[in-house]
Amino acid sequence: MKAAADRLIALDGINGLALGVRARAIASDRRQERPAISVWDASGIFSEVQLATVGAGDPSARTLLLLYAADLAYRVRAEIKPALDAGRLVIAAPYVDTAIALGHATGLDAGWVSRILSFAPVPLRRELIEAPPEDAIGDRRGLVEFCCRQLFGDDELTRLDLIARTNAQLRRP
Amino acid sequence: MPAPSSSSKAPAERIRSHFADTSKRRGLLVTFEGPDGSGKTTQRKLFKTWLKSEGYSVRTTKWNDSELIKPIIKSRKATRSLSGEEFSLLHAADFRHRVEQEVLPALWDGALVIADRFLFTALARDVARGLEHDWVKALYEPFLWPDIVFYFSVSPKTSSQRVSALRVPSYYEAGQDVTKVDNAKESYERFITRVIHEYEQLATRFKFVTVDAEQPIGDQHHAIRKLFRQSEARPWSVENTPAYVEWLATRQARQ
Repeated sequence: MKAAADRLIALDGINGLALGVRARAIASDRRQERPAISVWDASGIFSEVQLATVGAGDPSARTLLLLYAADLAYRVRAEIKPALDAGRLVIAAPYVDTAIALGHATGLDAGWVSRILSFAPVPLRRELIEAPPEDAIGDRRGLVEFCCRQLFGDDELTRLDLIARTNAQLRRP
Repeated sequence: MPAPSSSSKAPAERIRSHFADTSKRRGLLVTFEGPDGSGKTTQRKLFKTWLKSEGYSVRTTKWNDSELIKPIIKSRKATRSLSGEEFSLLHAADFRHRVEQEVLPALWDGALVIADRFLFTALARDVARGLEHDWVKALYEPFLWPDIVFYFSVSPKTSSQRVSALRVPSYYEAGQDVTKVDNAKESYERFITRVIHEYEQLATRFKFVTVDAEQPIGDQHHAIRKLFRQSEARPWSVENTPAYVEWLATRQARQ
């Protein structure tokens, strides 16, 4: 990863709703630092993936993570760096760790995910936002649930299993 | 290239034995690389027609052409809103999706796949854009190495003249995002010089079969036929095993 950013806080976790709640709470507590919140799909890439035609084929975990990296590159360029340069506090939710955990849970090499996301600035602080995997099912605001749905459609049991494995990866020290 | 893990030994053996079966034609991946204006598309079409007449089952895949990701790239190119990293990552995602949806299934079924540009296009263009070679290369893991890479070699001047004769190069094609030159033709000439420089390094490193693309079309086509005949009997590359292991695992999980 690039040099540490001393005003960047990364929130990671399986539940998009919980990440949003925590990001807003930090922003409220530290409003004098003019906080900016950067959330996934700010680029709109995933919204467009959802609108793709039926014959376009289902993306694999690797393809989804490349798309997440493209989305994060957009967030770094258009949201995170400008806010940091302006001296503001930035809360990125999710950031790098969620993607690494999801990649690992789907059987990809965690080192590969780290390498492709190496352009992202190192945060001052990382926070894991705990949530039960059951609560993440159906949470369309969450990166993890979105990817699980892309991979396994309506197969809720398999989705839940993957969310639980991602959670377990995130909780590893 | 990481070795397949112990858990993937069984699929790896299945893959090796699938491609070792000499009772049927094995899948072949032939890629056409080179700068714009080098005549790749013309030669690809001639080559495909000839292969079909020789009884091959032929499929074609083209750069930045997946139904899923092409529209995403197209809309962002139109608004000139891509950084180097975003450009590179979106093309890698498009590539991976086509490899999984089109290329690997066709090769598994014994088809001959012609790729009009492959991962070397990304390495040449993205590195010419100033990105790190190793980072760009990592985006394309697990690698699927072609059986033959035909590299269509032309000078920057020829490429510029041929492209300019047909159209004004688009913003990203001309590399205006990196050269910052307002005139598209002038920018193209500068950018393509860098791209060709990268291609030439790749040609040596990855043992491309070089075609002199300054020669007449018919002469190039006959040279390609001859070079293909000399190369098609190469054994299947075990270095491609991880790409197949991952593809088969994804397919199985979805079933």
